[in-house]
Formats: sequence, C-alpha cells, structure tokens
Amino acid sequence: MRRALPWIIPILVLLAWQAAAQLGLLRVQVLPAPSIVAATAWHLLLSGELMANVEISARRALLGFAIGGGIGFVFGMMNGLFALSETLTDSTLQMVRNVPHLALIPLVILWFGIGEEAKVFLVALGVFFPIYVNTQHGVRAVDPHLLEMGRAYGMSEATLFRRVVLPGALPSIFVGLRYGLGIMWLTLIVAETISASSGIGYMAMNAREFMQVDIVVVCILVYAALGKLADSAARLLERTCLAWNPAYAKA
Amino acid sequence: MTVTVLDRRPAVIDHASASGAAVALRGIGKAFGEHRVLHDIDLDIAGGEFVAIVGRSGCGKSTLLRLIAGLDTPSDGAVTVDDRANGWRDAVRLMFQEPRLLPWMNAAANVEVGLIHAPRHARRGRAAEVLAQVGLADREAARPATLSGGQRQRVALARALASNPRLLALDEPLGALDALTRIEMQELIEGVWRQRRFTAIVVTHDVSEAVRLADRILLLEGGRVAMDVAVDLPRPRRHGNPDAAAIEGWVLDRLLRP
Repeated sequence: MRRALPWIIPILVLLAWQAAAQLGLLRVQVLPAPSIVAATAWHLLLSGELMANVEISARRALLGFAIGGGIGFVFGMMNGLFALSETLTDSTLQMVRNVPHLALIPLVILWFGIGEEAKVFLVALGVFFPIYVNTQHGVRAVDPHLLEMGRAYGMSEATLFRRVVLPGALPSIFVGLRYGLGIMWLTLIVAETISASSGIGYMAMNAREFMQVDIVVVCILVYAALGKLADSAARLLERTCLAWNPAYAKA
Repeated sequence: MTVTVLDRRPAVIDHASASGAAVALRGIGKAFGEHRVLHDIDLDIAGGEFVAIVGRSGCGKSTLLRLIAGLDTPSDGAVTVDDRANGWRDAVRLMFQEPRLLPWMNAAANVEVGLIHAPRHARRGRAAEVLAQVGLADREAARPATLSGGQRQRVALARALASNPRLLALDEPLGALDALTRIEMQELIEGVWRQRRFTAIVVTHDVSEAVRLADRILLLEGGRVAMDVAVDLPRPRRHGNPDAAAIEGWVLDRLLRP
C-alpha cells in the first residue's frame, strides 16, 4: 500500500487530463489527450523514428559527458592535489565558469555549423564545471588524519592516492556526476532545439512546424524518461561504490 | 631555567630484549616558526621498555612522540633508533587518539594497511591472526562504521601490531574511549607488550593510565623533561594497587604544582 502512495497524484493528473481532453475543455492544438500521445508514441516506436533519434541524442550526450567530465575530473584531481596546478589554472577556469555556456550557442554555430561537434562541444563545456568543482572539493575534503596515517604506515604517493584520496573524494565526485548529468540533458535539449537536423530536440521542433502537438509532447516525455534513467543509473552506481558509507548504504 | 631530572630508573631493566628498539635523543629541540616547543632534550629509552610521557596540554608531549616516531624532524639534535639516525621508520608503528581506519575497507583490509611491506600473499592470513589477538576474530569483514569505538581502536591496535614493530608509539590512544573500554584496552596493550617485548612509548594526560602501563614516567613541562620516575610494580598490574596510587599521587602533585 505504501509503495502505491507516490503514484496517486500522477495517476489523478493523468485521469483529469484525459477527461478534460474528452470533454473538449482542452483543444487538441493545445494539448492532446494522453491516449492520443500514447498512440503517437507507439506509432513512432514502431516506425523506428523514435529509437533512431533517441540513439543519436544519447550518443551526443554521452560523448559530450565523457569528454567534459573526463577533463573536469583530471583538472579537479590536479588542482585538489597540487597547489602549483591550482594557482596556475583555477582562476582562469573560474572566469570561464561564469560565462553561461548556452550563451556560446551563436558562436558555436558559427564555428561548427549545425554538425555533431557543436552539440558535443556544448555538452562537454556544460558538464566540465560541476565535475571539476566537485572533484576538487572532494580531494580537499579527504580527512588529513587519514593521509597522515597512510604516510606514517609507509604508503607510497600512488598507493595513498588509490586507497585514501580517491575513495575519500568519491562521495563528492558523485555529487558532481549527478549534477553533470542534469546539465548534460539540459544543454542537449537546448542545442538540439536551436540547431540540429536529427535527435529528439530536432524531432520536437520539426513537429512544431506542422502543429503535431502530440509528437512534441512525446519528445518532452522522452527527455524526462532519459533524464530519470541517467539519474537512476548514477544513484545505483553511487550506492554500489559508497556502500561503506552509512549515509548511502541501502536501509 | 634548570632542569630537574630525577633519575630513579633501575640500572638494569630485566625484561629488556632484542626485539625492542633502543631510542636515544640527543639535544633535541623543536620549534614551529618562532614558537619553541621542545628544549634540549636528552633521553635514553632501553629496548623493550614501556615509557609514558605525561604533562599538561601544550607541554610538547605529542610533538616529542612524533619526533621519536619519525613523523616530524627535530629542529636541533638527533634521534637515533638502535644507534641508527635513519632507515628505522618501518620498525616504528603509531597509534593515534582516533582510530584513523579507512572507512571504505573492512577490518581485515585495514589491518593489512599495516602490512604494506609484507609480501602480498602473506597479508590476509597475518591480518586474521592479529585481529584474533585483539579479540576481533569474527569481525574481519566488518566495516568501521559498524564497529563500536572500542572495537575500532582494537582494529587500529591490530594494524599497528601486524608488522611486529620494534617500537610502538601511542598518542593518547585511549583518550576517546569510555572508562570500562579503556580498562580493557589497557589490559590488552599490557598483555601484547608482555608477550612481544617491543619498546612502547605512550603519551597520555591520564596519570593513572601512565602508572597502569609504564615502567617509567617522564613528566614534560615547558618543553623539558621535568621528572623521570620509575614505576617498579609487578605485572600484570591490577587497578587499585596502593603503591600505584602513591606514585600517581606523587606525579599529580608535581604536575599540579604552580
């Protein structure tokens, strides 16, 4: 019974929406009924159009995430571990951080046109900062007592990194990861909506041209599902990797 | 300021043995910037001796222990262990006031941290052996978060003992434990020391603990050794011994003297 509780409100909203559409309170041009949206989704799924676009969008998202997250992780580690590296790069990175990356879209279109590079570049840029900031913070937050213990017990710097610094920084890195995943989808949606010839965002914009509101709604729901899927995967990974931490251990 | 060193230490320590490292400090001084913490300390600790360093907070006792353990280097003078000025750090193990266990590893893996110089295949078995010795035979797979404070400190002791150190340095190791757990831990530490005969140096603010554990109590005051007291009581020691109480009272009087 308790497990059903969170679903009551969404189901009620869905029922109200369906009823409003059927009673003619909602015009099809504004918001088609859930049954129509479901039928459209099914149709798009069967035709293969939906999966093809999901695949393209997912590839852009993950590639951008891997590049931006990877670079952010390396800089975060370097600047958390070495004062020289931090002095050298941190203030520059902080300046760049204060430029909203979506404001670069016109420039990015001029540079890359509407090709794949533009989307991947924007996603990478957006994902870089949350990963960078949280990795650096995680390394800083490692208990200095544990570091001293490790050194006193004769750990080499490499062992110290592998067994003390990295696991100690992991909770914070995961915060960056989950935050980065959110930014990843957000950036991709905006980029695909503005300049693309494929992907979910393009599909939505294309449908708008022909007033196919049902397809637009399907695209929005797909984005929501992909975002939720990415977050759930990250949480699962978090629970597995941080099982030692009572704050993350599954009750 | 003159240094009063009452050398009442017996000339021969009957239990001194080859397994404990002999420590010698010559003209040791330590300053952090302008602030001098230790002044010109000369000290000899025989192999296998159990020494307690007591004093008020800020008297430099932890600093002195860190120098002996090789965690810091002295500003003046030299520390030698078995007449060697360096290369002895692996023979020394430290136990801190906090257990300082790695929370992402289980008890056995934490003990293996103390076996970092041992061959890989020998570590697991040795860790299990030492955990059993500190009374945690069945908790090998337990993570620190699931252990009590006393159990965590036992794992930390096992980690320190795993490599058979010749010198064990303990920095207020029982300060954070409740009274009953502390008594149990004192018995445990005395027990392993009697069995292994390493040299043990414990820093504590608790004079009764010093009397309970040590052969010799050094009272540190203003960065100098103000008193050096032998504790010649039979072992294993029991609490409530009137001779121990007398020594404790005497050291406390000296410590509290304005």
